[in-house]
Amino acid sequence: MTSTTSIIQSILSGVIEGTDYALYCLGLAFVFGIMRIINLAHGELLVLGGYIAYWLLVKWGVNPVLAIPIAAGAAGGMALLSYRVFLQRIRTGSELNTLILTFGLGIFLANLFLQLWTADIRTIGVDWMEQPLMLFGIYISLGEITAITISLVVVLGLHFFLTRSKMGMAIRVTAIDRDSAALAGINVERADLVAFSIGGVLAGVGGPLLGMLAHISPGAGVAITVKAFVLTVLAGVGSIPGLIVAGIILGVGEAMTVTFTNASYRELFGFVLFLLILLVRPQGLFGRRL
Amino acid sequence: MAHFRKLLVSEATAASVVLGIVLIIPFMLSFNPYYVSIFISALILGAVSIAWNLLAGVCGQVSFGHAAFFGIGAYASAILVTKGGLDPYISMLGGGLCGVLGSLVIGLPAFRLRGPYFALAILGFAEVAKLVTMNLTWLTEGSRGIMNIPPLPAIHLGFLTLDFYISRTTNYYMAAVLMLAIYLTVYFIRRSNAGLAMSAVHGDEETAAGIGVHVVKTKALALAVSAFCTAIMGAFYAHYVRFLSPDTAFEGSWSVMPIVASLFGGMHTLIGPVAGALVITGLDEFVFKRLFETGHKLFFGLLLAVVIVWAPTGLLGNRVRKTFHGEK
Repeated sequence: MTSTTSIIQSILSGVIEGTDYALYCLGLAFVFGIMRIINLAHGELLVLGGYIAYWLLVKWGVNPVLAIPIAAGAAGGMALLSYRVFLQRIRTGSELNTLILTFGLGIFLANLFLQLWTADIRTIGVDWMEQPLMLFGIYISLGEITAITISLVVVLGLHFFLTRSKMGMAIRVTAIDRDSAALAGINVERADLVAFSIGGVLAGVGGPLLGMLAHISPGAGVAITVKAFVLTVLAGVGSIPGLIVAGIILGVGEAMTVTFTNASYRELFGFVLFLLILLVRPQGLFGRRL
Repeated sequence: MAHFRKLLVSEATAASVVLGIVLIIPFMLSFNPYYVSIFISALILGAVSIAWNLLAGVCGQVSFGHAAFFGIGAYASAILVTKGGLDPYISMLGGGLCGVLGSLVIGLPAFRLRGPYFALAILGFAEVAKLVTMNLTWLTEGSRGIMNIPPLPAIHLGFLTLDFYISRTTNYYMAAVLMLAIYLTVYFIRRSNAGLAMSAVHGDEETAAGIGVHVVKTKALALAVSAFCTAIMGAFYAHYVRFLSPDTAFEGSWSVMPIVASLFGGMHTLIGPVAGALVITGLDEFVFKRLFETGHKLFFGLLLAVVIVWAPTGLLGNRVRKTFHGEK
């Protein structure tokens, strides 16, 4: 029953989904690349952004696209607070401690969502996003076009922030050599704080999009965190353009799994891909040798 | 400093005290079935925590997905009994071996790399194991779950009959015996050459490799033993609650709570995780659940963060002397 059109349609929806994946993962990949910290609360920060957009829409009818900056601010603020209160104190300790710490923060947030907003699955639904458009004989919804546009804007914005702004360059120099950066007069503590908070902001941007294109629930964060790490490894640590390619590979692979096997095995594709990458090419597609 | 030294006890003394408390808990609860069942969960958690801590506290590899091994052990044992007609005591061993198989699938690729790869891989593995269980309906009944799993057969000891069908207390002491067996296994591994190799890997992987320790094999061994013990407890759980669904057997708590229990109790000791498990189960039941009915686990997230930043040695960490190779 898999005709050529349905294969093309599933490839295309995979490409679209893959671009969104890249955005969902950007925060984690950025923090890992710059600070060598895996933020296991990344998914929960993203879900926090989603909930904020959801409640802004339900209570006051705020357009989800306009809610993105507020969601990003909230998630960024939460990341800043976590860094200031907890992470900063054990930053120099072992890597495992930061993993356990952020894991704990993720559990805290997920259960906070559960307590505040129940286990119900929420979808951010707006009529205009469902509008289908015909592009080159393939259907694509307005919501998907919006999501792709936002993804690209955010990736470019991050790129220009890192290469053009003073703070961005300070963050990069700190990542390359902390001691030399400090000697050159860069406030490395502040660079770390800003970098980690930016990770939170990037997660917060993804939340409303996740709610628009799929759905959010208190427990949705873990799957996002795992997926984000899989993409970071697939792309190669530190490669942000690689993330988009990796996201598209994952998106198309998942769409193909749904088309050719069973829809419930969709999540399996990413994991098998991850194990294969670890075995065959641990430095990722675009990374340097480990 | 003299009075500080008095506070220090050996691992064996601390273990005797904790296990003594475990022994008398049912009497303190006057055998109330509801409270005894809460502490059965605490003992299952305690045993899983000892196993988790062999990997984390001794070998330095943190697992965020022990629920995978717990669920695999539970399902394997339940299926071997209901579909294969095996005796539950034998099927429990089968469940343990299935846990070891699962550990090899995930450990061998992930341990080749240093850093956070293993921690993240196993986080994903737990999700995938649950997903596969949910979809292999011909074997696992899918999300409907397996019902009417037979309890452990009664044991006849002369005039005494230990019945697992009705008596909570028997199940409690069975859990205690299994926990003790796991404790002793970990205790003796810790003192063997393999345990010493694990400590070396924990300390510094490059140095360990330099003195001839096979790092990947050592980590895989620690994971395999840990997975075996965890899966055995999962199998016990299956025959104790007698109903399994993917959501209960692979429930995220089985990954989270051993971490909280071990950190809270003290990762540098072997018995600390049990003390942690008893205390946090009590706290959860009598304090947290009354404060926040649905989101009570948020306290455990906070507890993890607070302990790791301000009290990394845990409850027993400063009280129990570190045991070294060959020490009495």
